[in-house]
Amino acid sequence: MKKLIALLHRSILLSVMGLSFTGVAFPLWAQDLENGRQLFQTLCARCHGILGEGGEGPSLKRAQLSRAPDDDALMAIIVGGIPGTGMPGSRQLRGGDDRDVAAYVRSLGQLPPESMPGDPEAGRLVYQGVGNCSSCHILQGEGIGIGPELTGVGLRRNAAYLRQSVLSPEADQPRVVDRFRGSLNAFLTVRIVSERGNYEGMRINEDEFTVQMRDLAGDIYSFDKADLISYEKAFGHSFMPGYSAVLNEQQIDDVVSFLMSQRGDLQ
Amino acid sequence: MNQQTHSSAASGTVIRAIFLLLLLVASVASRADTSYQALLADESNGADWLSYSGGYKSQRFSPLSQINPANVDQLKVLWAYQMQPPSLGGAGLQETTPLVADDIMYLTESPSSVTALDARSGRMLWHFVPDISEDVLNIGFPRINRGVALLDDTVYVATLDARLFALDAGTGAVRWQTTVADNSVGFSLTLAPLALDGKIVVGVSGAEAGVRGFIDAYDATSGERLWRTFTVPAPGEPGSETWQGDAWQTGGGSTWLTGSFDPELNLLYWTTGNPAPDWNGDLRPGDNLYTCAVLALDPDTGEMQWFFQYTPHDTHDWDANQIPVLVDGEFSGEQRKLLALANRNAFYYLLDRETGEFLLGEEYSYQTWAEGIDENGRPIVIPGTDPTYEGNVVWPSLQGATNWFSPSYNPRTEQFFVANRRMGAMYFKADVEYQPGTPFLGGGEQAFDGDQASGAVLALDVMSGELQWEFELQTPPWSGVMATGGGLVFGSSNEGNFFALDARDGQALWSFNTGAHIRTNPMGFAVDGQQRVAIIGGQTLFVFGLR
Repeated sequence: MKKLIALLHRSILLSVMGLSFTGVAFPLWAQDLENGRQLFQTLCARCHGILGEGGEGPSLKRAQLSRAPDDDALMAIIVGGIPGTGMPGSRQLRGGDDRDVAAYVRSLGQLPPESMPGDPEAGRLVYQGVGNCSSCHILQGEGIGIGPELTGVGLRRNAAYLRQSVLSPEADQPRVVDRFRGSLNAFLTVRIVSERGNYEGMRINEDEFTVQMRDLAGDIYSFDKADLISYEKAFGHSFMPGYSAVLNEQQIDDVVSFLMSQRGDLQ
Repeated sequence: MNQQTHSSAASGTVIRAIFLLLLLVASVASRADTSYQALLADESNGADWLSYSGGYKSQRFSPLSQINPANVDQLKVLWAYQMQPPSLGGAGLQETTPLVADDIMYLTESPSSVTALDARSGRMLWHFVPDISEDVLNIGFPRINRGVALLDDTVYVATLDARLFALDAGTGAVRWQTTVADNSVGFSLTLAPLALDGKIVVGVSGAEAGVRGFIDAYDATSGERLWRTFTVPAPGEPGSETWQGDAWQTGGGSTWLTGSFDPELNLLYWTTGNPAPDWNGDLRPGDNLYTCAVLALDPDTGEMQWFFQYTPHDTHDWDANQIPVLVDGEFSGEQRKLLALANRNAFYYLLDRETGEFLLGEEYSYQTWAEGIDENGRPIVIPGTDPTYEGNVVWPSLQGATNWFSPSYNPRTEQFFVANRRMGAMYFKADVEYQPGTPFLGGGEQAFDGDQASGAVLALDVMSGELQWEFELQTPPWSGVMATGGGLVFGSSNEGNFFALDARDGQALWSFNTGAHIRTNPMGFAVDGQQRVAIIGGQTLFVFGLR
């Protein structure tokens, strides 16, 4: 009876999570996802976020985990950690708990298959033409690297995020997670006034005494903070324009679909 | 021929004798022999740094003044030591404070190795690696170690798998080892032991695994356990009324940071950590004595003389495992023996260390959980600040407004310096059942980190807790501070900078980029009369001096 309830519980959980069995490497029916979720919450959430969204550690809500291409690699990392990084091993996992946690981590990335809102091929033309996206993004090795690289972006981001990035890029900018410094805005706009002039660009790095910045021409600057007349961090600002005035609804759907279709490394 | 041979043999004997004598002199000169008397004088002895906090008062104050605001900009690296590859997967964070005795430096390397270096050159003298199994449990903390203790000709190290080793100071050979506690249920030792007269005191980690904490003293020569004082009372013992049912058996209260000692009062001061499970207080109603507290113990018997609980019924993992700094001075017109502590819960406290009387509790960092501290030292908790199943935002984060890394006190200027973390968190509660050797947390946290958080080095008036100045840090620090007789405060950052501040106003006078995060405390010593300061950045120990 207890087993039956547990199975029922699992199937409810799976349907709540909108999971499909297709493409799931672990046979999820064999795993106790609730057990995995509870263990994840106690062992992993401190760094990876209570919902796996990332924090001190990277987000796990992605279909492909770069260090864990398959299930064996994922379990090895959960149990053994990653030497030289902040990822400790959870060697205390016993009796199949490691498999349950791995299954839960996998489930975080098994977002329901999203249907494309438009035509990816038409979106390619928008990307290359009126959108002029390659003037600031590198995709498949081509373009200019001012904004985030878009190779494989369809694996990392869902449709809602991509749409928001096209329409309101300042709303949720990409972040870089540093093991010791936390989650930092990777494209933070900074405005700097020194005796030599006024500078505007994106922060590359910063410490107590210095700040490093890349301007829109791609030139890199380093400043001593003590020498600056003013230094502004413009949170909520992006150099990328919102495209609602440039593209019509169909073009936005198409370019989002094109980005969703970018699911591989360099081809 | 025979004569010649004899003569030659005779002169050879003389040469050998002289050589042996020289060897003896050299070995005597370079062997640490740290007597209890030397430990009592550690505070005023600038050349050595004989215990974790630089003396029994735990002031982390180097009295040396050769390096000062006028010349600190000429400070340079004199030597560096790159640590050995960790002997254990998942190890590699370095949180040790090196000790220096008679020109020999002793430091630990993660997880529990010990290295002796020539403090003049940085050349290795010996390296000890305990045999720790890959299966060792460390639940709730990284695979780290914070340093050794020295007493007479022995070096003491506590290990991740909950053992205590006594090593020959000259060679690193094992004199004895003893198992302090059972690692398979979550006990572990990461702290630097404290050496008293003939005994070694240690505490344990493990509240995140639901251990019942304790403090132990061992005979320094034999390794025999002299006493054990539990930090969570059993039924019928004083304080047991603050627990219900069997919760005390898994009550936490770990003792994972080195304490302080007042030889005149003959009192040992030791701090305690969170009750278990961390975030679900429903499972352990009551104040949960003696968690999140400081205990004053008789070092001869382990008997508790008084206690003060900073955070009753903690539900945010705010261990009180911060350094209790012993301060003598005038408080409210009266000469007092005081205990100062900047707590993880964002309040700065002063106690009378003779009686435990609460004297002062002032907010030193932004917090949203208490309206203040009442006249008895009890926080006036704001309702609705406990963790919830849905998540509840509270400042500070579980890592606290400060943490294990050390504060510093300059007794000449009565300034208390502390590295401050400014970060809030969403706290979650969850259901949990105790299973030995597994996490017993009852929730979790999502911290507001990165650009949403920051840090600072603060200078407080030790008697009032009033802020004198602050030096802003980019992100919440994991490294401590050290004040010096030269009027400087050394500190460091996650960004890898080791810096010197002017103690008068907090102005940065010098900095050095070590090239990696810094996660430990500065310390100071002298070689040939020349002042040195040391810090570890990443896996590298740097020693600085003027020449």
